[in-house]
Amino acid sequence: MARMKFYCDEGRCIECLGCAVACEEANELPVGISRRKVVTVNEGMEGQEYSVSVACMHCTDAPCEQVCPVDCFYIRADGIVLHDKTTCIGCGYCLYACPFGAPQFPKDGAFGTRGVMDKCTMCAGGPEPTNSAKERELYGQNRIAEGKVPMCAAICSTNALIVGDEAEVSDIYRKRVMQRGKGVIGVPYGWSTAYKG
Amino acid sequence: MYHMAGVQLTKVKGLPMKKLFIFLLGAVLLNAREFIGKVPLVEHAKEVHFTGSRLISPELLHNILHYQTWGELFVYLQVHWFRALFFGITVGVLVVFLLHYLIIGPKKFSHSGKGVFVYSVFKRVVHWTAALAFVLVIPTGFMMIFGKELGGGDLVLTARYIHSIGTVLFIVSFIPMFLMWFIPMLPTLDDIKWFLMLGGYLTKKKVVVPAGQFNAGQKMWFWVAMLGGIVMIGTGAMMYFQDFHLAILDRFGLDQIDLIRIAAITHNFLGMAVAALFITHLYMSLFAIKGSLDSMISGNKSEDEVKYMHSSFYKKLKKEGKI
Ligand code: HEM
Ligand code: SF4
Ligand code: SF4
Ligand code: SF4
Repeated sequence: MARMKFYCDEGRCIECLGCAVACEEANELPVGISRRKVVTVNEGMEGQEYSVSVACMHCTDAPCEQVCPVDCFYIRADGIVLHDKTTCIGCGYCLYACPFGAPQFPKDGAFGTRGVMDKCTMCAGGPEPTNSAKERELYGQNRIAEGKVPMCAAICSTNALIVGDEAEVSDIYRKRVMQRGKGVIGVPYGWSTAYKG
Repeated sequence: MYHMAGVQLTKVKGLPMKKLFIFLLGAVLLNAREFIGKVPLVEHAKEVHFTGSRLISPELLHNILHYQTWGELFVYLQVHWFRALFFGITVGVLVVFLLHYLIIGPKKFSHSGKGVFVYSVFKRVVHWTAALAFVLVIPTGFMMIFGKELGGGDLVLTARYIHSIGTVLFIVSFIPMFLMWFIPMLPTLDDIKWFLMLGGYLTKKKVVVPAGQFNAGQKMWFWVAMLGGIVMIGTGAMMYFQDFHLAILDRFGLDQIDLIRIAAITHNFLGMAVAALFITHLYMSLFAIKGSLDSMISGNKSEDEVKYMHSSFYKKLKKEGKI
């Protein structure tokens, strides 16, 4: 079975925000929610500035799943971490547990308070019947079920953001580091935290 | 981006002013035509991704590297300790009181006579407002902690909203309660003696207990509810608002997400103390001393009860000729 992983190449990301906007539009996210965040550090410092696109990494032994007080997460055989919005109580614990700040909370609960959690599904929908209207409304597209690449990676014009089976993604990563001829081959950005090696 | 603009400007500088003006005008018009319709989308994205939010900022990347500090601690405590401790402490407290009730039993005092007037209408209203707040806040807190067992969903979600509503009620009662009681709640020498004999609760006999208007147990509850309560309000508010910004906190150099993690950890540990003393308070006022609830309804406390359970207060009232 393939183990699906994300990799954002900080050497290629140009902070165009394409992934974030494409995700918002494709999944018709509520106002104020963006499952992908493009963050730039060391802005203006020559040679040190870089950007990466961050969303849920679909971690190994996902911490969010471990802390949820209502146990609403489930992890697919391909490693995709999903949750059930009809069980979630929007308590925020998964956000505190998450190394990547992935869970977010639209203000759509009673009296405009914090509602249930939303995060990247790797475009794999949720527990409702595949491609049902309810699945789409609650979780967005289920592109994985249709054999399509998740939206954000599909539109990335520099191929900085890639997603796929871990063996293939690691391969691409190694080739890129070798071609650049600088830096050491370690693991891609965030992988040691998300996948423990 | 800025470097690019800078480079272009220096190139343009060498041109005659007129050409420059036409060039700029053309550029503006062309750009405007080309970007109408696109601009709002990018602006919207920028806004969502950068302005205002401290959870979504360069801090986010910084915190991935520092996840080991507070992130892992929170996960460890939530997975291994919080639920177990809440369960253990609550069951422990309940068992102790059940045994106390069965073995030693409640204290009974004579309620003849008109009693001693201790609580004005104002004090009673403040007390019952705070009480209602706790009755809303504590069971709903437990519902969230044991949300798994309740199946989650709308029931527990509603409990979470009620938890916040209860908090507002508690905030309202907080200042008047603090002001009306903090002087009689200050510690005295009686409190040490009270603790040494555990308030006389370990014997069936009616013994004279050293205590002023409030005994050491009541004082402990007052301070945990007040000082603890203010911390509970603060940490709860941090979790509620999530993405707020308090300039003063920048001095501590904490990432926003770590601040909320610390809030959640504090809220859980202190919640155990508040919940345990709340249950104790209920047991004392409803079961351990028969009829003690009356004082908070009518304002009058049984003279017999004051004489034994608050002996120093009784002596003081006697001296002042109030009895
Ligand atoms: C003086 C007492 C208390 C106050 C003022 C208070 C206030 C709050 C507030 C404002 C929140 C955030 C609610 C939200 O985000 O919607 C919260 C969360 C929470 N409280 Fe309390 N609380 C108190 C006592 C307790 C106690 C005794 C317990 C446990 C028995 C408890 C358990 C929880 C839990 C589990 C949460 C996390 C879920 C959440 O963020 O909604 N609280 N509290
Ligand atoms: S990135 Fe965060 S939300 Fe996603 S699986 Fe990991 S811990 Fe869970
Ligand atoms: S916000 Fe929802 S998914 Fe996250 S920990 Fe709370 S109940 Fe679970
Ligand atoms: S995989 Fe899908 S849901 Fe996740 S960030 Fe990309 S577009 Fe959004």
